[in-house]
Amino acid sequence: MRKASLLALLAAVLAILPAGAADQALIDAAKKEGKVVVYSITSRIANAAKAFEAKYGIKVEAYDLKDGELIEKVSREVPGNIAGADFVICQDSGRVYGQLIAPGYLVNYIPESMKQVIPTKFQNPLIFQFINKVFIYNNEKVQTPVIQNVWELTEPKWKGLVQFKDPKQEGVNANFLTMLTSPEWSAKLEKAYEEYYGKKLVLTTKNAGYEWIKRFFQNGLILGNSDTSISENVGIKGQAKTTMGLFVFSKTRYEATKNLSLAPMPDVKPFAGFMYPAFIMMTKNAKNKNAAKLFIEYLLTPEGFAPWSKDVGSYSSNPNIPINKEDFPVSYWEPRLVFEDPAYLFENRADVEEFVNTISAR
Amino acid sequence: MTFWNRLRFWIRKPQNVILLVLAVLLTFLTVVPLISLMRDTFIVHSSEIMSVRGSKLGDFTLFHWRKVFLDGERSYRLFYQPFFNTVIVSLASSIIAILLGGAVAWLVTRTDIKAKGFISTVFIFPYIMPSWTLAMAWLNFFRNGLTGGARGLVTALTGWVPPTWFSFGAFPISVVLGLHYSPFAYILIGGILKNMDANLEEAALILKASRAKILLRINLPIVMPAILSTFLLVFSSSMSAFAVPAFLGTPVRYQVLTTQLFRTLNGLNPGYGYIMALVMIVVGLGILAVNQWYVGKRKSFITVTGKSSNISYMRLKNLRIPLTVVLLLLVVLIAIVPLLSFLIESFIMAPGDYRPSNFTTLFWVGEGREDIGGGEPGILINPSVYQAFWNSIRLSVAVALVAGTIGALAGYAIVRARGTKLSSFVNNLSFFPYLLPSMAFGAIYLSMFAQPFLVLPSLYGTFALLVLIGSVKYLPFASRAGINAMLQLSNELEEAAIIMGVPWRKRMTHILIPIQKSSFLSGYFLPFISCMRELALFVLLVTPANRVITTLLLQYNEKGWNQWANAINLLIIIVVLVFNTLINRLTGASIDKGIGS
Repeated sequence: MRKASLLALLAAVLAILPAGAADQALIDAAKKEGKVVVYSITSRIANAAKAFEAKYGIKVEAYDLKDGELIEKVSREVPGNIAGADFVICQDSGRVYGQLIAPGYLVNYIPESMKQVIPTKFQNPLIFQFINKVFIYNNEKVQTPVIQNVWELTEPKWKGLVQFKDPKQEGVNANFLTMLTSPEWSAKLEKAYEEYYGKKLVLTTKNAGYEWIKRFFQNGLILGNSDTSISENVGIKGQAKTTMGLFVFSKTRYEATKNLSLAPMPDVKPFAGFMYPAFIMMTKNAKNKNAAKLFIEYLLTPEGFAPWSKDVGSYSSNPNIPINKEDFPVSYWEPRLVFEDPAYLFENRADVEEFVNTISAR
Repeated sequence: MTFWNRLRFWIRKPQNVILLVLAVLLTFLTVVPLISLMRDTFIVHSSEIMSVRGSKLGDFTLFHWRKVFLDGERSYRLFYQPFFNTVIVSLASSIIAILLGGAVAWLVTRTDIKAKGFISTVFIFPYIMPSWTLAMAWLNFFRNGLTGGARGLVTALTGWVPPTWFSFGAFPISVVLGLHYSPFAYILIGGILKNMDANLEEAALILKASRAKILLRINLPIVMPAILSTFLLVFSSSMSAFAVPAFLGTPVRYQVLTTQLFRTLNGLNPGYGYIMALVMIVVGLGILAVNQWYVGKRKSFITVTGKSSNISYMRLKNLRIPLTVVLLLLVVLIAIVPLLSFLIESFIMAPGDYRPSNFTTLFWVGEGREDIGGGEPGILINPSVYQAFWNSIRLSVAVALVAGTIGALAGYAIVRARGTKLSSFVNNLSFFPYLLPSMAFGAIYLSMFAQPFLVLPSLYGTFALLVLIGSVKYLPFASRAGINAMLQLSNELEEAAIIMGVPWRKRMTHILIPIQKSSFLSGYFLPFISCMRELALFVLLVTPANRVITTLLLQYNEKGWNQWANAINLLIIIVVLVFNTLINRLTGASIDKGIGS
């Protein structure tokens, strides 16, 4: 009896600890500033902002921007010393490294309480979360994964039935395509082709990565404007043919409310999709430095990350934050998904974008 | 000595002072940006360090020009094909707009068709709506299974599945743009037809000319200048339209110059984009030149458009009722039905399910639910919607005041100093912004004003920059209205006042403006409307804190939050209509009496 309550107390203390770890001096300084401005690529920042406001009484101006838009804004505002964001949550490694970090527009800040918690490899630049886009199909008629190998998507049976967000509209999609042309992934794609068809791949392009992109796009691939509408288009019930797409895993959270049929296929060879980091960094000319620091720290705690962690498809860099019960940890996804390599992206992204632009619709 | 005297005499005339100030100001605001644009086609921008190997920021390069024009297959995909697509779509939409708008204008002004007031008001709705919302309506009705998901309402109601060319690509883009701009044709052609002297038609009738011959040899030549103006306006507007091709073309990868422009300016290759913008400006100038050459050649017809006391309506006889019904149906179809579809879509929970149980007020007044759209509250209780709306309204009012006033002054000065070189220079300069594609214009202002420029501090992120670009962009509307108003006024009125020693300011406020009140007011009104629904011009310039309602709307659209988007769209139209009615009641001016009169 006594032991049990002691354990419960201990558990409660442990649960509170990381959340309440913010330094009192920082809190006071932040409250004095009274306000913080954040640009973010995830819309759920609004919910976190509400909770933060309630907790500290510091007003949050949270703006939800597209990744390229955010990069453009910051690369104008910081050098022009225009008061914009105090900190940002941004994505698209190639451009963030080259356009924002290299010229020093963004500054890394790791809260003291997180230095021992977040793995060192996620600390510079500090990663807020990982996001994944995976192959998802409409499981209204078929309950088992409809493809085993990505080369199937280049076959006539999938012509006009696959959706993907326009890589021109979101950098991370172009990054994914670019990574496929890297030596590592083009070798894997070549091997996957041989395993599936039992013959060698005949190239009409530079390597297997380019080849897959070309055939994938030429097979009537439908490019969408938003992952949300793609999830609706794929998942809506009563379609004549089974459809699928490569889109944000967390959109499966709409399954119940929007009456959709969606199921992921995590075991497609040689990749089931891609995963990319969202960075959390301060701007060089941040006006509300302390409030920004406090909010950054808050977002890295279980409490602050709650708007994301309650659904699948969001993975905090803080390993103490549990992920959704129906999801798998990053370590599960790691061998299954394509990750970004900023250096390779910086060198090759422009070429791949140009290549994609020359692929005709048919 | 005589030189100084002449200068003093010259400067004493208010029109000369106005022209001089405008010439300097407009050079600064339109010609300098153009030069800056040209410069941008030769330098390496921050995002291009990736693609221009071994270069530094700001280096001189011919890379962009080579890639856009001389890189074989790549240039074809990057530039030539989108260019041809742009020409095709712009031509087709101009023809649709002229045929539809012209036909309705003729029926309303020259025949005894019924319900003229209703038709005249409702026919301009498509122009008030942001153009891409018509594209959304098209998708609501006609989308086939291509993009997966639910099929359109037409399929749900009739079982007919539209072929892909009907749902996406050149055809729907042309039709939607044509519908959106047909009010232009209606206003311009209608303005001429309304004032046309029926004696001409009657004279021809007496001479036993056939109906067809009258139409071809009398009506057509008279409205030809208006048709050409319409063509100029619709063609350049369609050419610089971005959102419609983005929505209707992307699924089938049908690219036009603006979609390429947006991609390159926002992406890795702004240099390409600046070249494409330059091409669009050159095309616009070409059309303007043809237009002016034609109008110049046919100068003699202008006298015909003077007011006539003899306006008789053609009797439609047996056709009167059927034609009225057809026209009403058409107007309802293109102007009211899309509104209904926005209304319905804004109440739907799960997409494509129109059963009553699926209706919800969540997107209007709901607190927002975590599991739908990340907890975004309904638009009527959403602070960001109110903020954006307030920004839009104060921006539009400010732009209307600035553009309208300058336009009226410009009109006065240009007409009073007619025939001088300075006058025609300012005249052309004040129309020039119309030919600058909105998005490119925004991009240039962005790069010009992101750092301190001459006497100006860095304007980026300020509200003033939005007002500035809006005022310049819509000055053509206002200056056209001002010129038209002044041209209709005879000189004697002002001369009489001059002889009486009435000062200039009093002449303007007590004589000229009161007489041509409604014409001048339309010079304020058009910039207001255009500003309320403008997207491309502001999309690159707004910072999150001063975003306007249309950029917010596009954001909802892009995220796929269609219910919020449909609801906001409806709100914009309602607000503009309320303003239209208010101004109409108070002053007698309204948009359907606008440009042409």
